[in-house]
Amino acid sequence: MNKKAKKVFKKGFGIVFCSLVYIFLFLPIIVIVTGSFNATTTKPYISWKGFTLDWYVKLFDNSALLHSFGTTMAIAVITTLLATAIGTIAAIGMYKYKFKGKSVIDGLLYIPVVIPEIVLGISLLTLFSGTNIPRGMLTLILAHTTFAIPYVIFNVRARLSGYDNSIEEASMDLGANRITTLKNITLPVLAPGIAGGALLAFTLSIDDVIVSYFVNGQIKTFPLKVMESIKSGVAPDVNALSTLILLGTIILVILTQSDLLKKIRHKK
Amino acid sequence: MKKYLSIMAIAALAAALLAGCGSESEEAAADADKPYAGTTLNVYTWTEYIPDSVIEAFEEETGITVNHSTFSSNEDMLAKVKSESEGAFDIVQPSDYMVEQMASQGMLEELDKTKLTNLSNIDESYMNPEYDPDNTYSIPYLGGVEAIAVNTAKITDEITKYDDLFDSSYENQVVLLDDFRAVIGLTAKSLGYSMSTTDAAELDEIKTKLLTLKPNVKLYDSDSPKSALIQGEATIGSMWGAEVALAMEENPDIEVVYPEEGAYLFMDNWAIPKGSKNVDAAMEFINYMLDAENMSEILAEFPYLCPNAAAVALMGDEYASNKAKNPPAEVVENGEYIKNLDTDTLTVYDQMWTELKQ
Amino acid sequence: MKKLSRHTFRSNTLPSMAMVGPVTLWLAFFVAIPLVYVFIMSFCSIDESYNIVFKFTASNYERLFNPNYMQIYGTSILVAFLTTILCILIGYPFSFMIARTKWKHKALLYMMVIIPFWTNSLIRIYGWRTFLGTGGWLNHLLMTLNLTSEPIEFLFNKGATVLGMVYCLFPFMVLPLYTAIEKLDQNLLEASSDLGAKGHTTFRKVILPLTMSGVFSGSIMVFIPCLGYFFVSDILGGGNSDMIGNLIERQFQSGNNWPLGAALSIILILITLLLVKLYQKAGGDMDSLGV
Repeated sequence: MNKKAKKVFKKGFGIVFCSLVYIFLFLPIIVIVTGSFNATTTKPYISWKGFTLDWYVKLFDNSALLHSFGTTMAIAVITTLLATAIGTIAAIGMYKYKFKGKSVIDGLLYIPVVIPEIVLGISLLTLFSGTNIPRGMLTLILAHTTFAIPYVIFNVRARLSGYDNSIEEASMDLGANRITTLKNITLPVLAPGIAGGALLAFTLSIDDVIVSYFVNGQIKTFPLKVMESIKSGVAPDVNALSTLILLGTIILVILTQSDLLKKIRHKK
Repeated sequence: MKKYLSIMAIAALAAALLAGCGSESEEAAADADKPYAGTTLNVYTWTEYIPDSVIEAFEEETGITVNHSTFSSNEDMLAKVKSESEGAFDIVQPSDYMVEQMASQGMLEELDKTKLTNLSNIDESYMNPEYDPDNTYSIPYLGGVEAIAVNTAKITDEITKYDDLFDSSYENQVVLLDDFRAVIGLTAKSLGYSMSTTDAAELDEIKTKLLTLKPNVKLYDSDSPKSALIQGEATIGSMWGAEVALAMEENPDIEVVYPEEGAYLFMDNWAIPKGSKNVDAAMEFINYMLDAENMSEILAEFPYLCPNAAAVALMGDEYASNKAKNPPAEVVENGEYIKNLDTDTLTVYDQMWTELKQ
Repeated sequence: MKKLSRHTFRSNTLPSMAMVGPVTLWLAFFVAIPLVYVFIMSFCSIDESYNIVFKFTASNYERLFNPNYMQIYGTSILVAFLTTILCILIGYPFSFMIARTKWKHKALLYMMVIIPFWTNSLIRIYGWRTFLGTGGWLNHLLMTLNLTSEPIEFLFNKGATVLGMVYCLFPFMVLPLYTAIEKLDQNLLEASSDLGAKGHTTFRKVILPLTMSGVFSGSIMVFIPCLGYFFVSDILGGGNSDMIGNLIERQFQSGNNWPLGAALSIILILITLLLVKLYQKAGGDMDSLGV
């Protein structure tokens, strides 16, 4: 085999290999989307009974399902606000000041990131149960915020590591007080890190199954609703809602693509 | 790195607005025949046990909102109710032995039966059971047998007993309930022992026998074991009665077998956990489910053994004479209800169950 | 801190308390205290009505150090290990190709790894069940093509569990690898080959050492969650290939034995700590696990 042929072969092999990986990644998605068009009405909704769009209409009659989705969103928004506020301030504080016990806080921060979610879930369950805090929205928000805070801090911190202290000094030398400096100088510089952390917090909250499973009480988030529907076969309307969520996200990616792609390309 | 996962966030937000448009608008108008309109009842039942349509009809009629959650075993339910603060649930559905367990722990409200105008629909023989004399805490809902289901197109041997599930020729073909009392119970029965034995030697023997089941098990599923059978993933298995009946409707090759050794019996009940803040509305719910018409609608979808004589009368012969739906009287007579176990025995159970499932 | 300004020296107790106080309290209440509580609970027992008895006993640990449980830890670690290895074997060449392609829509390739993960993970795992089941898509296909006359049993074994785990955790391997590989300097690779190094020598001596950090953080992010994902072995494993996560879940649910579940959690935490220590020894950066 000459060199050129070898190269073509190598390239062809690469394309085949990568395509197989993408097929692997998208297979379940295809199953879900197909399932949302299945006309079957009998559990476990597996055999194909013809094409229909009915489920996309029926979906809007299923108030429990829509409600669970709304709940998920509400929890995610509050979690994001809380975690971003606490995390950003903490990251700045930890960067600027030296104090005793800093390494302890650092250590505690890594825990929610590295321990398996189930351990976080059961430890919060024992806490809430032991202190008799009723399980529900409140405990879900507390739990989600707990695992979201470290991600916000790490993102802001990554941004801070390239941060030039002297502009703050300059600001204060020019007579600005601490708050004004924070508002006008520090926060704008950190904005991309904060935004990244906030988006991450939001995503983690929306998709969380394991921690929520232990602290939800009567509240059903969308993932928990899915968990329940899995017991007797995923209903096509759940598939339909999942398809809509995915579609919405993809459209958004396309709309914001140019910006995002640039960001990825420059992520060096 | 996970940053890029996050774009979904924004999309989801947009969708939330959408969901907001679709969500229910409730008028809490308390009119005379809807005294509990606007109340939310937290109802905790077994999976695949009550049709959504019946719950929706109840909501329609009473203006009460039902927040329905499901569990897969009595022990799951107990764990959840215990770990929640008082008043988290308004209605639960414990089986026989679990009513006794919960009542003895003071976890159940006493029921004011004068409010249950439809109580007379329940057949006398099902009232005042051993596990709850006088029905102080519980009202029977549905019950039945842990029966054997066989796909006769795949298995030609004659299946007559729980012991047949252990036959090594059914390697990787059996579906079982994901419920340790049910599986260890049938193992005990297959050896001729009581399902609630505490005898150490017998437990040893049960464990040895149980582990021989391991290579046969294809999967454990408490919620919808019929699916595995219908789809051909399993050819034989044991499951709650109506699951077999429903599987038979999907696939005529499937047959029901009641074990010769005597069957595992269960009776599930309505009960109100201690501390419920909506006892009156909960009683209204129970009464609604006792109504002959409503119960027959439930029975049509989940054909179990039904203590509600009036509902059975409405079902007609198709139900009454179907031996998968309505188990013959002698099966029930020869069957056994399980009993609560002490902590030490439960530890032994847990150990053998863990060993089986690894 | 590189340079302390006089302003930060002036009075830093109050502002530092105000800024770091909330997070400290939060972590204390919702991370430290619960874990200490779990630790204490792991030395307790239960009474006849499943209530926790706060009286010291080591019986939970005695029970967990018996061969049966050991076997489950072993299986869990094996499943996690296989998952990690598969993720590396598939993920490394894959990341290499998508990170170093000269195709102009390279960013699209990257996005396509992430897009499936915007759908709820449970429903995707269930999708595999629909696909691989006895009456599933794959068996239909194989039987239509006459490749098999009887449906093949893909589900309800450890293999299916590993497949589900690889599926769930694959992007957590690809993303750090992608970042590490993309950072490689093209000139360095060219220099190596100019100096006469063969392809595999360049890979072994230059590329691999420079991308090892990605392999390490990817491995940690795949291995550890794998031990706790109880729903994967429930849905695809059919409940007969339990892992540590399933045992913990069971003790907090149907087992009604929280102290035993707590002890199992402590064992899982110890395994995690050990792995994290190894990771740090290998020069891994903790912050990169969360960014």
